[in-house]
Amino acid sequence: MHLVLLFIALALYIAATASFLGHLLSSRAGMRRAGLWLLGAALAVHSGAIFSRGVEQGHVPITTFHDALSLLAWFVVGAYLFLQARYPLAALGAFVSPLAFIFTVWAYMFFSGARDLAARLPSAWLPAHIAPTVLGYAILGVSFCLSLTYLLQERQLKAKARSGLFRRLPSLETLDRLNHQSVTWGFSLFTVGILAGSVLAKSAWGHFWSWEPLEVWSAATWVLYAVLLHARSVGWGGRKSARLTIYGFGLLLVSFFGVSLVYPGRHGLG
Amino acid sequence: MEREILIVGLSHRTAPVEVRERFALADGQLDDAYQRLLSTPGVDEAVIVSTCNRVEVVAASGDPEKAVPGIRAFLERLPAEPLPLRAEYLFVRPGAEAVRHLFRVAASLDSMVVGEPQILGQLKETYSRAAAIGATGAILHRCFHKAFSVAKRVRAETGIGTRAVSVSSAAVELARKIFDRLEDKTAMLIGTGHMGELAARHLLAHGVAELIITNRTFERALELAREFRGTAVPFEHFAHHLRRADVVIGSTAAEAFVVTARLVQGVMRERNQRPMFFIDLSVPRNFDPGINEIDNVYLYDIDDLEGVIECNLEERQREARRAEELIDREVQAFCAWLESLAAVPTIVALREKCESIRKAELEKTLATLRDLGERERRALDAMTAAIVKKILHAPITKLKHSEDRRTEDYFIDAARRLFDLDDPERK
Repeated sequence: MHLVLLFIALALYIAATASFLGHLLSSRAGMRRAGLWLLGAALAVHSGAIFSRGVEQGHVPITTFHDALSLLAWFVVGAYLFLQARYPLAALGAFVSPLAFIFTVWAYMFFSGARDLAARLPSAWLPAHIAPTVLGYAILGVSFCLSLTYLLQERQLKAKARSGLFRRLPSLETLDRLNHQSVTWGFSLFTVGILAGSVLAKSAWGHFWSWEPLEVWSAATWVLYAVLLHARSVGWGGRKSARLTIYGFGLLLVSFFGVSLVYPGRHGLG
Repeated sequence: MEREILIVGLSHRTAPVEVRERFALADGQLDDAYQRLLSTPGVDEAVIVSTCNRVEVVAASGDPEKAVPGIRAFLERLPAEPLPLRAEYLFVRPGAEAVRHLFRVAASLDSMVVGEPQILGQLKETYSRAAAIGATGAILHRCFHKAFSVAKRVRAETGIGTRAVSVSSAAVELARKIFDRLEDKTAMLIGTGHMGELAARHLLAHGVAELIITNRTFERALELAREFRGTAVPFEHFAHHLRRADVVIGSTAAEAFVVTARLVQGVMRERNQRPMFFIDLSVPRNFDPGINEIDNVYLYDIDDLEGVIECNLEERQREARRAEELIDREVQAFCAWLESLAAVPTIVALREKCESIRKAELEKTLATLRDLGERERRALDAMTAAIVKKILHAPITKLKHSEDRRTEDYFIDAARRLFDLDDPERK
């Protein structure tokens, strides 16, 4: 049941992506509205998928790689729609929808054979580790989209706004401010996730930290975001900040996917 | 009797301003003018649209061939000394063309600056005055209200009115895409050229909180500062104040660059890299083009702004085409309604509707009363037919023999609406 719902959500994510792109390229207001409705519908269907998966498992579905990915996509869309309700950020949908699509496709691909960590680590610290990490990743994913939009708008304005595109993108200052806020939130949750993870490691294996590849990459990502946040106070706002946010999210994806799959350590999720 | 909408007049497309101005109507002349117009043979209803771009008579007429020369003579008598209208100044739009013309005027597609919003308000006022004088009836009532709703739709569904088409408004539009809000921003005006002053005025009108003014002649800066409630700073020191400015407008007659890229780099460090927007409105240019290369700094000179406007105008043209399509459909719908607005088809439709209701109800009743004989059935049929006929007798007589044309239109329109006779697709 939940795979069927997930599949419908995938189709809706694609449709939303097409609508948002259509809005950016053609300026039709109807396309923007359609995009938002489609994305909202996708979120609703995706919620249904997560709910039915939870019923199936008897607990919040979060302890397999498949579920974490699915939840990640869900959080990204939820965080975006939450922001969109407060600021006119329809242009961002053109980046958020495909991102949600990619995460959901990954979730789909990892469904068969996903190991349930709950079986190996029956500790309350496991969800306490995964939940803030995934939510943090999602918010950093939104800030990644904000940064892409920022760079696009910056390019329009530097190039003397020759196409009408700049009109449909939010202002640089808005994007920069929201980027700062979302990085702050995402980074904080990410930190909480790491701390909870080390407590979990201590209780399960006796060490807070064991230099696993995923741990090292995560630490590197953490340092990059910390630098980014600090650099703002010395004037690295705007374009530089947007670039760093994009690199940071790239690093994060590498640690989340690449390392987990290539090096099957304790975090080996596949 | 068939009715037609008719427009006779002159506009900025057919007559130069020195001709148009002589036809402009003062408020005090309106009553008199309407009286003369309505006594013109063939004119049943009329509205005089008089703005600085047009003097047009919109009329509903049962006899356009008689009405056109009459309206023309009326127009010729409008100036203080009667002026024979040269044929090329005047345009005549009959029937569907007239309806389209009115819809296009209301939607600001016929304006000098396509998409400017004032015309709709002027038209509404014009119409309500004509209605107050009693110059309008069912046809122009419907026609003008349709024009207003079409204009609203055009505004809502196409982007026709949303584009900046002046240098100042393009500057504001860009500032809004760099800054979140203008209410906490400061602008600096360097030099007091006309364009710069205009841009500063526009920025203040759109919420910019503070204005710093500098000029080689300090007195002039002081003068402007008083007018704009800004602060004047001496020209020698403006560089020290530059870091406070988020928007900088250059409008001096200087031969060399007044602000260099080096200066801006230093200022950006002091500002902790907060964005700046430079608007160079002078020729030769005041600001070093290299400024645009600096991170978080955006420089637009006069050509760049013209470029934005040009692209806006093109976009307006595209939107205008979409608006034309929308208007085409509405014109068709209106003309269909107008055609139906005649006594004979209305009476036929009214009879058909009542007859079909009678038949349906009769069948329903007879179906439940199976034990009735043929005689009773026929009696019921005759009785219901008589009821319908008697009820319809008075309205149909009124529709056939109204005292004048305007009353006839009024009754026909009322009958069609009360009995819901219009094809729903035509509404």
